Amino acid sequence: MSSIAFIAKVGTEPCEDIIPAASVAGKMKWPTRSVAASLGIAVFLGLTLPALAKDSVPDWVRAAAALSVPHYSVETNAVVLLDDTTYTVAADGRAVEHRRRVVRILRPQGRNEGIFRVEFDKDTKILSMNVWSIGPDGHEYAMKDKDYADVGAAGMEGAFEFADYKLRVASAPGADAGAVVAYEYEQRCRPFLTEKTWYFQEDIPSLSQRFALILPAGYTYGTVWAHHAPIKAEDLESGPGHTAWEVKNAPGINLERVPLPPSSDSLAGRMTIHYAGPGLSFATAGTWQSIGEWYGQLSKDRLIATPEITVKAQELAASKTDFYDKTEAVAEFVQKQIRYVAIEVGIGGYQPHAAGDVFHNRYGDCKDKATLVSAMLSTVGVHAALMMVDTDRGVVDPDAPSLVGNHMIAAIEVPKGYESPHLHSVVTAKTGRRYLIFDPTWDQTPFGQLEHGLQGSYGVLLEGDDSQAIELPLLDPKLNTIRRRGAFRLDSDGVLKGTVVEKRFGDAAEYRREMYTLADTKQQTDSLDHTLEQDLTTFSATDVKVQNIASLNQDLTLSYSLSADRYAKSMGALLLVRPRVLGRLAMATDRKERTVPIDLGETMQATDDYSIELPDGYTVDEIPDPVKLDLDFAEYQSASELKGNTLHYMRTYTIRQVTLPAGRYADVQKLARTIAADEEGRAVLKKK
Amino acid sequence: MNCTIRHSIACCISTICLVTLTSTVRAQWTVPTAEELKMTSQPEVPGAAAVYLFREEITDDKLHMWSKYVRLKVLTEGGKKYANVELTQYSSSGYGGYTVNDIAGRTIHPDGTIIPFTGKPMEKLVEKGRDYKAMAKVFTLPDVEVGSIIEYRYVLRYDNYLIAPDWYVQTELYTRKAHYLWRPTGEDVLTRSERGDAVTSSVAWTPILPKGFEVKQSSNAGTASAEGGRSILELSIHDIAPQPDEEYMPPLSSLTYRVLFYYSPYRTMDEYWKNEGKGWSKLNDKFIGPGNKVKEAVKELVGPTDTADQKLRKFYATVMKLDNTVYSRNRSAAEEKSEGLNPPKSTDDILERKRGTDDQIAQLYVAMARAAGMKAYVMSVTDRDRAMFMPQYLTFSQLNDLIAIVVVDGKEVFFDPGQRYCPYGHLAWKHTWASGLRQTDGGSALAETPGQPYTASRTQRIAELTMDEHGEMKGTVKMTWTGAPALSWRQTYLRGDSTSLNRDLRVAMEQLLANGMEVKVLGYQNADDYEQPLIVSYEVKGQVGSSTGKRLLAPNDIFETNSKPIFAHEKREALIAFEYANTVQDVVRIRYPRSLGVESLPVNQQFALQKFAVYGLKTESTPTSFTVHREFDLGTIMYKVDEYPILRGFYNKFETKDQEPVVLKVLAPGAAGN
Repeated sequence: MSSIAFIAKVGTEPCEDIIPAASVAGKMKWPTRSVAASLGIAVFLGLTLPALAKDSVPDWVRAAAALSVPHYSVETNAVVLLDDTTYTVAADGRAVEHRRRVVRILRPQGRNEGIFRVEFDKDTKILSMNVWSIGPDGHEYAMKDKDYADVGAAGMEGAFEFADYKLRVASAPGADAGAVVAYEYEQRCRPFLTEKTWYFQEDIPSLSQRFALILPAGYTYGTVWAHHAPIKAEDLESGPGHTAWEVKNAPGINLERVPLPPSSDSLAGRMTIHYAGPGLSFATAGTWQSIGEWYGQLSKDRLIATPEITVKAQELAASKTDFYDKTEAVAEFVQKQIRYVAIEVGIGGYQPHAAGDVFHNRYGDCKDKATLVSAMLSTVGVHAALMMVDTDRGVVDPDAPSLVGNHMIAAIEVPKGYESPHLHSVVTAKTGRRYLIFDPTWDQTPFGQLEHGLQGSYGVLLEGDDSQAIELPLLDPKLNTIRRRGAFRLDSDGVLKGTVVEKRFGDAAEYRREMYTLADTKQQTDSLDHTLEQDLTTFSATDVKVQNIASLNQDLTLSYSLSADRYAKSMGALLLVRPRVLGRLAMATDRKERTVPIDLGETMQATDDYSIELPDGYTVDEIPDPVKLDLDFAEYQSASELKGNTLHYMRTYTIRQVTLPAGRYADVQKLARTIAADEEGRAVLKKK
Repeated sequence: MNCTIRHSIACCISTICLVTLTSTVRAQWTVPTAEELKMTSQPEVPGAAAVYLFREEITDDKLHMWSKYVRLKVLTEGGKKYANVELTQYSSSGYGGYTVNDIAGRTIHPDGTIIPFTGKPMEKLVEKGRDYKAMAKVFTLPDVEVGSIIEYRYVLRYDNYLIAPDWYVQTELYTRKAHYLWRPTGEDVLTRSERGDAVTSSVAWTPILPKGFEVKQSSNAGTASAEGGRSILELSIHDIAPQPDEEYMPPLSSLTYRVLFYYSPYRTMDEYWKNEGKGWSKLNDKFIGPGNKVKEAVKELVGPTDTADQKLRKFYATVMKLDNTVYSRNRSAAEEKSEGLNPPKSTDDILERKRGTDDQIAQLYVAMARAAGMKAYVMSVTDRDRAMFMPQYLTFSQLNDLIAIVVVDGKEVFFDPGQRYCPYGHLAWKHTWASGLRQTDGGSALAETPGQPYTASRTQRIAELTMDEHGEMKGTVKMTWTGAPALSWRQTYLRGDSTSLNRDLRVAMEQLLANGMEVKVLGYQNADDYEQPLIVSYEVKGQVGSSTGKRLLAPNDIFETNSKPIFAHEKREALIAFEYANTVQDVVRIRYPRSLGVESLPVNQQFALQKFAVYGLKTESTPTSFTVHREFDLGTIMYKVDEYPILRGFYNKFETKDQEPVVLKVLAPGAAGN
């Protein structure tokens, strides 16, 4: 598990590695650490001037540089020639990581591979670091300590984040197409961790990735593998307890231009080593139980409710006897009244603040908020455990127990036999106990539901002996809806006038709820204009009303009067009218061969219902044919019909599954084509 | 058609102000008024996230101190972010630094409850290098809720130097009241620049303020203060709207309300630019030379019968071949050293290394022209994509790029050799209709660059397509670019490689055409030949037409299929600006099977926006094809706010016209081919 308040995947653990450019694929609310750091670098890095060192390029760099590179796609920016990590654990359990990496830059777009960043903080001191490069012209460079810059953590815009981690940054000279860049560093590892995850796939291909483990006498280890079959360990001759693994010719995972992409971290191979020995008082083993127990040690004192908490929780739950009502009141308090503020120092990346402090300050990060939910509920007789997740679907692997994850939510135990139509995101543990999964950080998802990014993924229930990985449910599409209805009148000049009501529920309302909460009136008007300009050229929206902005359990309702000039196109004796007035649902696909799974994002249902009263003097000559396409994972149907003098259009689009194998891409393309064609369908009116 | 920029947006700037120099942080919080406690909105900015009730900045040279005091009302959830404050402090072994101290703050709830900030700001590293360190002090005010007033203050302290303040009056939030004060030093001040040192006893300022507000000057003379005699510069201002933020704006960020101060030995704007410009020109001449290597190269390049134009074209071709590091990459000091190179001292060095920055290459071009006996000058301009030049603002920092001016046959011609692949005798659009400082014989002068006519930047899009009875089309597209769009593509190419250019060209075409069309780049011509149009050929395939059963509807111009309205919003607050004048010419010919026939074509039409822009669409058909000719010419690139309605109406009109389909009917079997 990396720092839980951030969304970062590869290389976020201090003592993990230099951050490869590929790992900056944050997709959610918060930037990844590497993105954040790069922002800082952009500001100041120009101030550092590398100088020529006396040290020459070492032989292992030259040997790697001499390797012949296979033929890669012309879009491959760079190739890892060598990536070699040695993880050495001392008898007292302290670990040091030594890493060597050599990369050949193949294209100008690969120049960023020459910018190295090693993350560190007070617990993970960099003991040594060296950077070398061989320019395209053969010149050799060696950087010195004075050439490096240390860059602090940057937070997400608008939020308060404080972390003490930093990046040591070096920009290798001569880093251009044809150059070879290399580094070597040694770094202390975080003392309270007894697992190490080795990532051996990134956005560029690699020729050789090797990981060596050096354990002292009396230590044992185990490995778990995610997204890759286990590789046989090699016993090293250097001594007993010395072991290595090697991966040759790992392909790169570059999803930059892949439509509907899965998370790259859900595909990248990784191995997690858990080790134990006499120097370690508390270790994670390769089981979810041990991880839960380890985290329990970290968090148990933080979950204690203070008198202040008790008073507030009991006040919120007062007069509420129903489980849902009671928990909703407490959960929504934390969801809405506790500001997202992340303060992480050292172990604070893993350990929550005390619930009492979070309550008093009225701010905290994700693990703080989940902790406060648990503490508050405990005072009203409800048990809630913490649950570790990753905001990228598919990253947490149920068969590879580890601390890999980037977010913390709450698992609220549901009383035996209790049922409620409001509880949707419910899972059942192996113990038979049921939990309502709730994310107090995601402030636009109704209580009882779960944000779409976590659905269909795995969460780690941190429940002591009963800790386990649990699949999080995919929610019913009808809990995530867009319902547009419009009633219009068309005149013979093509002007369309009428009213529109758009209702959104669930995550489909998230953006608009945020926009109508945070933006000013001009920004709100501009946003509506930008939505309408997708379908209309000359228009005016007036009498705009928005209801239920903060009521997550009710539809966010947007209504307005709409006037669109020249909506219908007069073409000689014909008047062409698009029955689908508003709303675009067609997804972007490409025509390339698909090799990676498809991620449709979220289960949802959208409906459009428009009636257009037609002008006098015209008769309907043609209307679009009905469409019906049911592909099990999704369904689309639409129909236009004439009722009297009114053209009526209805469609329903339902997405039932979110992850599909690559082999279903043809169906996805067909779905996209069908929707796009239907959206452009026209009714033809003729002058009588 | 008029081809002008038409409206000066610098007219609201007052002239430079000067004062001759002769010599305590607010200690108390402000008690909120009842109105401030209960207010829920600011009527001038409906829905605003927050509003500044009061802002104050005080600079005191004698104390080497700058202090800030903020009172801000949180009006919506979005305003809570202003409770998070991050303040950077900086130290450097070479240039001194500054520290942030005396941070204090509090939150006041709408009911008047006061929650003081009692915590200690946290310190975090921003960046640390060999001889500098930037740290941030960060804090968040406690228990902030919608309706809260947040209040905080802090002090910056600096040693060894003085900072002339800049008062940025207009911010992203509405400001009810603000107060700014500067107590400049009474001592003489040494100002230092690459053009030399100067001792001054005066300060100057450039005010950009709304009507009715001005910087007031007073003196402590006559008071009992030991500082008696020091001048005080002060501005009290109120009801300042947020800075505008709209699409198609000129770079107004440089023209928001502000007052910019500087220590200056100069008493007038003309004096400043004349004197400082002289030093600037000398520095340029020193680098330009020409030295012996440039002279030798020029000798080899020119023939005895070459005209001035021929010579200049040869020089231009020579510098265009150099590695312009703006488009490739800068070499680090280590790389330069490994090649035995020191920082370049003259254009000889640039010529010899075969690489340089954009400015160095412009200087080399001037050097070559001079070596050939021509009068040639450099001009430093403010790039129009970044800001507008303000002569009243007495600083060189507003100038960005060098261009070249050469006298050819008694007439000055502008060149842009620093913009690699810019055609001979043209300027990149960001350097057109721009202002700045130029060299003259024996000195310098403020000057403007010429514009470019709309004919100089042309996009021609030709499609030859065949469509089947289901609306599936395939065929070829030929794109031809000259001027600004060609330069943009060529520089994209310089920054990447042929693979990335190929991909970018494909993606750009995919975005133009109907969703899901398959696009393949067949090839491109003249990517390196900047004097020729850039031509790209594509193969395209995919569903374009929409079948209704009895008819097939096809777009009239496939290149406008995905266009969205340029001006969707009814209201406008800021000037409207386009990057450059240009013309776009489309010819789309679609052949269809004999089983189809034209039922209706868009009517030929032409619209004009006075003499500023014109649009025309013509269609023609044969029994098995139709052809659409579309042309759009934009001659004027800047419009006033009161012209927005007619501009928007013009755009809406032709954008609607572009969406008129061609209606093809399915012919009865017997009628086919008639």
